[in-house]
Amino acid sequence: MIKATDVVKIYPNGVKALKGVSLEVAPQEVLVVIGPSGSGKSTILRALNLLEEVQDGEITIDGESLTHPKTNINKIREEVGMVFQSFNLFPHKTVLQNITMAPIHVKKMKKTEAIQVAEDLLKKVGLSDKRDVYPGQLSGGQQQRVAIARALAMKPKVMLFDEPTSALDPEMIGEVLDVMKELAKEGMTMVVVTHEMGFAREVADRIIFMDEGMKIEEDTPEEIYQNPKSERLKLFLSQIL
Amino acid sequence: MNSKRKDLFWNIFLVVFLLSVAAGIYASSKKVDYIWRWNRLPQYVVYKDIQEVRAPSDGIVSVSGKTVKITPPGSRSTPVLLENVKGISVRNGDTVFEGDVLAKNESYKLGPLLTGLLITLEISVYSIFFAIIIGVCTGLARISRNPFLKKLAIFYIELIRGTPLLVQIFIFYYFIGTIFNLGRMTAGVMALSVFTGAYIAEIVRAGIQSVHKGQMEAARSLGMSYTVAMLLVILPQAFRRTLPPMAGQFISLIKDSSLVSVISITDLTKSGREIVASTFSPFEVWFTVAALYLVLTSLLSYLVQLLEKKMSAQDK
Ligand SMILES: Nc1ncnc2c1ncn2[C@@H]1O[C@H](COP(=O)(O)OP(=O)(O)OP(=O)(O)O)[C@@H](O)[C@H]1O
Ligand SMILES: [Mg+2]
Repeated sequence: MIKATDVVKIYPNGVKALKGVSLEVAPQEVLVVIGPSGSGKSTILRALNLLEEVQDGEITIDGESLTHPKTNINKIREEVGMVFQSFNLFPHKTVLQNITMAPIHVKKMKKTEAIQVAEDLLKKVGLSDKRDVYPGQLSGGQQQRVAIARALAMKPKVMLFDEPTSALDPEMIGEVLDVMKELAKEGMTMVVVTHEMGFAREVADRIIFMDEGMKIEEDTPEEIYQNPKSERLKLFLSQIL
Repeated sequence: MNSKRKDLFWNIFLVVFLLSVAAGIYASSKKVDYIWRWNRLPQYVVYKDIQEVRAPSDGIVSVSGKTVKITPPGSRSTPVLLENVKGISVRNGDTVFEGDVLAKNESYKLGPLLTGLLITLEISVYSIFFAIIIGVCTGLARISRNPFLKKLAIFYIELIRGTPLLVQIFIFYYFIGTIFNLGRMTAGVMALSVFTGAYIAEIVRAGIQSVHKGQMEAARSLGMSYTVAMLLVILPQAFRRTLPPMAGQFISLIKDSSLVSVISITDLTKSGREIVASTFSPFEVWFTVAALYLVLTSLLSYLVQLLEKKMSAQDK
């Protein structure tokens, strides 16, 4: 479903955030990305829907090349949902409007249909009673669940999560992770940057460990956590445990 | 309790202070032998316009409804019919002579101060409208990645902000106005909108840049194009934040519009000058003109405050 080969990203300030990273995600697979701060986790994730332009390498989503100059990037982004650490809900729109905006204005869905889709998704993330409030009135966990519903409303083939729970108070982490687990169970293809080990063990098919812009290890959760091979991963695990 | 009493003291002090300033102004005008003639002013605000209808010839009057018929003496001459006459003051059978008053029409008309105020309002409304269009487009060009648009915007903004408005008005009227055969009003409105547009562009730019960049990323990640994301996500949020500085700019525009009087547009300021010339009461006239500008500007800031309240009620 996702294939990235030798992706290189150099920021305008000269920082080489990705030094040739390759990864592959099969349909319905869940890939978790871990690594210390500044290792390039966000950068590789954001490269997967071209929020960051890459300097070298190739990325394809469902067979379509992102890096090809003729690609209609908006079209591909419709199929790749993204959830951010800081939610990024639209504060001037109600919960319902946040969810229906892209289906109506991008997919040209009929308004009644979009509202139906949104209501179904709100039920799914357990926020049906919040459809007409503004994001500012919601807790962090609720906002993040709305953000997930908003991304799902475009019926994406792939969902990207960049540390979706690290801006949340501990008591709200569970409700967001539950929604993500549910999604994984339904067979959504997902790439998740997270340090939630419980989630990774339960849901991930594979984990990749990144450091200094490179992929250091890639393996099943059991192997990564119980049998780390590289010194860097051992050090990293000892720090987060 | 104590602080309340202190506040009361300072409030009373403020009133006393303002009253003494007023008294001071009055006293100094005494010193220069100024005679205040406030009673001359009202006629420049509204005045009673009297129109008389006079008899075109001698004869006997017959009135029916709004029609007056004057039958001249002697049977050979034809009667004269006057239609749609208001305020008829003669009765059936009266004998009138040529030049007699048949009807007196009284109506209230706007004096030069109010017509000037209306012209100022008209210029301001048009200029604000065009300045917003120019300002938003330039602001967007200013943050565009296209070097042509970006540099053009910077050039325009620097050019306008680096030259005096008065000079710009002259250039618009004498140079551009002559080439394109523009009327004074058009030239004046153009000068003011182009001038204010440059300032609004900077306000718009700052407003857009104050919206967190995660908003644009979220919108783009949902498949929205740059334009759609701008229109639906960024600009509405930027708009709310730019309201206070925008209001300040519009108030400046209303005040700056007084400069168009130099190209003979009879706005509030020009009316003021004309009235001073005929009444020799500069103090009263200019105080009144100032008060009328104040009415316009306070009205505007009141409206903007209402709008702001309405918008901030949304996200609590
Ligand atoms: N917009 C940017 N401009 C310049 N350098 C950047 C930018 N974003 C990230 N970087 C740099 O690129 C490197 C990788 O950053 P990235 O955000 O991908 O790390 P990360 O693994 O997501 O870290 P974290 O766990 O802190 O989120 C870092 O050295 C960072 O300083
Ligand atoms: Mg990150």
